[in-house]
Amino acid sequence: MIAGGLPSTATTRFFPGAFLLSNQQNIGTYGTLAEPGPLSAPEKIVLGLGILLAAALFLWRFRPILRNILRSKKDPGFKLSPLGPRIWDFFWEVLCQGKVIRQRPLPGLAHAFVFWGFLAFALVTLNHVATGFGIGFLSPYSLIGRFYFYFAAIWAVLVAVSITGLFIRRFFVRPVWLGRKVSYESGVIALLIFLLMVTYLGAFFVASGSTEVRLLWWAHILTLLAFLPLIPHTKHLHLVLSPVTVFLKNDGYSKIPPLTGDEDFGLVTGKDVTQLISLQTYSCVECGRCTEHCPAANTGKLLNPKEIVLGIRTYLNEFGPASEVPLLTESRIASPDNPPERYLSMEAAFECTTCGSCEFQCPVGIQHLPVIVGLRRGVTNTGVWEDTYGTKLFLALEKNGNALGLSSTERDKFLQRQAFPIFDGTQEYCLWLGCMGGYDPKGREIIADFARVMQYLGTSFGVLKKEKCTGDPARRLGNDLVFQTLAESGLKNFETAKVKKIVAICPHCVRTIATDWREFGIAPEIEHHSEFMARYKDRLPKQQGEKIVYHDPCYLGRYQDVYEEPRAVVEQAGTLVEAPRSRERSFCCGAGGGLAFLGEEKGERVSHVRARELAGTGAQVVGTACPFCNTMFRDALTAVSEAPPQLLDIAQLTARALPASQPSQGPHHSPVTGGAQ
Amino acid sequence: MSGVLVVMEQRSGAWNRMSFEALAAGQQLAAKLGAECSAAVVGSDPGALATELSSKKLKKAFAVQHALLGIYTSDGYVAALEQLIKEENPDFVLLPHTYQVRDYAPALATRFQQVLISDVIGIRTEDDRADSPIFVRQLLQGKLNADYRHIPPGPCFVSIQAGTFRADAVEDGTAATETFSPRLSPDQIRNKPGEPFRESSHTVDLTAAPVIVSVGRGIGEEGNLPIVEELAKALGAELAASRPICDNGWLPMERQVGSSGQTVSPKLYVAIGISGAIQHLVGMKGSKAVLAINKDENAPIFEIADYGVAGDLFEIVPELTKAIQTAKS
Amino acid sequence: MKIVVAIKQVPERDAPIHIAADGRWIEEGDLNYTINEPDAYALEEALQLKEKQGDAEVVVVSAGPERVQSTLREALAKGADRAIHIECDDLSTRDTLGVAQVLAETIKAESPDLILTGLQSDDLGLGQTGVVLAELLGIPHATIILQVEFSGAGLKVKRELEDGWFQHVEMPLPALLTIQSGGNKLRYATLMGIKKAKTKELKTVLAAEASAAATISMERVYLPEKQKKTEMLTGSPQEIAAKIVEKLKFEVRVI
Repeated sequence: MIAGGLPSTATTRFFPGAFLLSNQQNIGTYGTLAEPGPLSAPEKIVLGLGILLAAALFLWRFRPILRNILRSKKDPGFKLSPLGPRIWDFFWEVLCQGKVIRQRPLPGLAHAFVFWGFLAFALVTLNHVATGFGIGFLSPYSLIGRFYFYFAAIWAVLVAVSITGLFIRRFFVRPVWLGRKVSYESGVIALLIFLLMVTYLGAFFVASGSTEVRLLWWAHILTLLAFLPLIPHTKHLHLVLSPVTVFLKNDGYSKIPPLTGDEDFGLVTGKDVTQLISLQTYSCVECGRCTEHCPAANTGKLLNPKEIVLGIRTYLNEFGPASEVPLLTESRIASPDNPPERYLSMEAAFECTTCGSCEFQCPVGIQHLPVIVGLRRGVTNTGVWEDTYGTKLFLALEKNGNALGLSSTERDKFLQRQAFPIFDGTQEYCLWLGCMGGYDPKGREIIADFARVMQYLGTSFGVLKKEKCTGDPARRLGNDLVFQTLAESGLKNFETAKVKKIVAICPHCVRTIATDWREFGIAPEIEHHSEFMARYKDRLPKQQGEKIVYHDPCYLGRYQDVYEEPRAVVEQAGTLVEAPRSRERSFCCGAGGGLAFLGEEKGERVSHVRARELAGTGAQVVGTACPFCNTMFRDALTAVSEAPPQLLDIAQLTARALPASQPSQGPHHSPVTGGAQ
Repeated sequence: MSGVLVVMEQRSGAWNRMSFEALAAGQQLAAKLGAECSAAVVGSDPGALATELSSKKLKKAFAVQHALLGIYTSDGYVAALEQLIKEENPDFVLLPHTYQVRDYAPALATRFQQVLISDVIGIRTEDDRADSPIFVRQLLQGKLNADYRHIPPGPCFVSIQAGTFRADAVEDGTAATETFSPRLSPDQIRNKPGEPFRESSHTVDLTAAPVIVSVGRGIGEEGNLPIVEELAKALGAELAASRPICDNGWLPMERQVGSSGQTVSPKLYVAIGISGAIQHLVGMKGSKAVLAINKDENAPIFEIADYGVAGDLFEIVPELTKAIQTAKS
Repeated sequence: MKIVVAIKQVPERDAPIHIAADGRWIEEGDLNYTINEPDAYALEEALQLKEKQGDAEVVVVSAGPERVQSTLREALAKGADRAIHIECDDLSTRDTLGVAQVLAETIKAESPDLILTGLQSDDLGLGQTGVVLAELLGIPHATIILQVEFSGAGLKVKRELEDGWFQHVEMPLPALLTIQSGGNKLRYATLMGIKKAKTKELKTVLAAEASAAATISMERVYLPEKQKKTEMLTGSPQEIAAKIVEKLKFEVRVI
């Protein structure tokens, strides 16, 4: 006994119950972790057998899972390097629990305490088992041991409180995102964790070598041994898998892997499920964060990203990774006898706007978009998906090269009317119109206004004589033939015109050209007009007063991490107001993933939900930075509001304050720009 | 005979009104050639119709008559007209470019090792080659015109597009009627046509409607819809709407035209109070003719309209309805 | 059951129109070619018949220069079983009869049960090749067909008449049908189809020399005088109404 009375006094202060105990027993030992003393040989045998049994049960249950993961198709083109980002993600998402806390602060913090508590307990647990065999290495009487056990005790309290809170949340508050069914397993697990903590803490209040400590010691180890085999069987498998999943997940957001060989059409059957997908689906902790933020799930549609993940997991368990049973079929539409969590339905897969909230939110590193787009590829590339609007869209892209199915002469006429200079290699920028900018009346206004901004800034630009769609809607709907054709012709188009730098008003175009085209060649540097304008924000006219609520387009925010630039532009044009859900939590407008072209939605319109939210901020203007968001809100705002706010793109917000038909003022006044007047 | 022969079209004793446009074309062509024009009508009992033609300026009006010609079959018509043409030996055979003519005339021309110059929108003669008229056709969906000439010998077969000539330009006169009885046997006729029918139209099928009157946001409120409904009724048109109207439940969703509704291509599309958002434009851009009435003269709908009225629909639409009713009565 | 689909390759619908130097056709240099749309519907009908019938073979045939092979490959990708390219570089100098003769020669050798083709072409729009082909082969035909079904030893087809009228026609096989656009829904080309098409047969045969001179000639082409432009009608409501009625009567011709 080294430390005398001080720690025990402290302990009694922290643990009021100990005061009662302290009157009955030797004061010197209370408040120190009691040791069970040497175990008898039979006890040691029981312990050894217990550990073996638990380990065997764990492996027995874990092996088929591991086998399914390992027997899945290798991920084509998977590379471990560069390690830096992987290590950072592991540090931030696993060790710091960054995502878990940030996106759901209270339960997130509770989870983080449990997690960190577990980490703190690793050493304690090892020592606990070792003590049983008489080879304990941490003595509660050593300075380090005493310190560490107290340290762990603090964590034990935090874990116990946290797990109680999480238990209450799951079983009494019952947020809808956790699923309609109550998972009793989760209750058992919570209880076991609670017991683990209590049995640990209890040992501070009993004397070393006492019967009580012996009982606590056994209770603790048995709880642990009961816990172990439950892990692979329940969503608590994430304890084992998710650190690996987070570390191994594919680089890039919403990355759609290239197809390999002549037999690869996307996720058609179990044979196409890759190891990473397999690993990810087994890591799912069913927290429902993906569902909570999903625009489809929130507006009464069948799609629930969690069920997609669990659907793949169920498929793997049922049919195995080598199965040739189709992953998606029409008949697998949910019904009371055929609940969606068991099966994957085509309807659900085509309700995804690819907004990417799910992937962004997922705390265990699941990448939903490659899966959802992969499932779409599987049925689109093979012609199984039959949808009037989808077919119309694909045929329009095949024939006309634009998603709207309009004649390219319509674009020619617009170019002539605007007297846009044709890009000839002498200008700094190629101004990319996109389908919306080239054909949509509202998109054309945005392009025309952005052109005015460029002229005002004295930046020279030209437009391409001919443009075809980047293939974004085809890409997201899983039509690789159309996408590849368009990507290749687009790359050639840029090469022929000797384009070096592109600026575009459409985040979908920017993302597709910059990221998705990479599979077929190197595209010129491309930026979104928000980035361009933000760079010159000090030279843009400062406007006063008006409240402008900015809507983050999914393909600009989450997809490209551009949050500040459009805000900087908005701030020049008025007073920036934030929507309740903004930045990386921004709620989709409903247009992405090709859905703008797919006809009527089931349930409530995504655009209406978002428009209501934007109008509800009381701002006079809704500022957008994507022509698709713009077109969605155009109808939605008038539908949800009696006196709808004005709807303007950031280019229009800027251009409205420019002096009328002002010639170029910039230092780089170029003759080409001048010629465009 | 040389000269021009016009093959008229009838069904169940009623003229196809395009026949008289072809007849006018035949008379005018004959006049330019300095030749005579005859006409023929085919049927099981076309005598009465041939008699009607006797008051037109024609050389002859043939009643091509046979029991097997009561119901149209290409086999019957080709065989009968082949015999008539062989006997009469015209230089030009003119036909209205109807669905029926499209069905048999190419085969008829083939019997003479000829090619039908189809869907002609104009006939011109040049002074130096008055005997070799130029037939104007449209190519590439009307984006290009082409001049065609027939290379003699043999009869030249021509079908005339609707509306190219005016039926009221047919010159009156007198014509001798003549019955022509072709030799036909039932085994020559291989197809067995059924009775013509119309589709039951309890569901709205905008895609098949020849005329559509479509209403948009500019209508203001549901109570104003009747003025547009009246116009649709006067025109015999289907009523359609842009998305906001259907969203508000003023008209059922099945009447929505646009990217999330129907894609239509009527002969005439009347857009009332529709500004022309792209979602709407893609649904109706295939219309043959577009009439747009909108307050805002900068509305994008005017970009694709053939006829535009920048004005108050509440003033113009009722007037238009009245004018159409008067014109039709 | 063997179904032959005769396909024409035509310039894309929004092709740039520049008159060629000789004034007899448009510049072909910057044209992109595609399947004639009504022929795409004919192909679709054939593929659907095959899907219903089970044991049918769909053979696509196209005459023209080498470039038509790309259109035939697309047809194979959409599901046709075999393709025949009738190589003919002077196709444009032959008239409808000449073209139909070229097709007839090859198709006769295939002795199909059914021949389908589009009701007209997007470029020349003469709308006759199918009917003439049937005449040359001595088989019955029906035009502007929306639906096809086999009934007994023959066919029952739904034919479009004018003004919203239809008619069923029964006919024996072999027969030729010209298919109306829009009767079916076209399918989109798929990656799988393209990959499968690589292994399918595409045979090239040479067209015979033209047996007779053309009987009609296209002398020259030119842009129509009146380009489509919005005509704004102005005046008092009554005047505007009268002007509209005039247009609807004589230009649009719906009254």
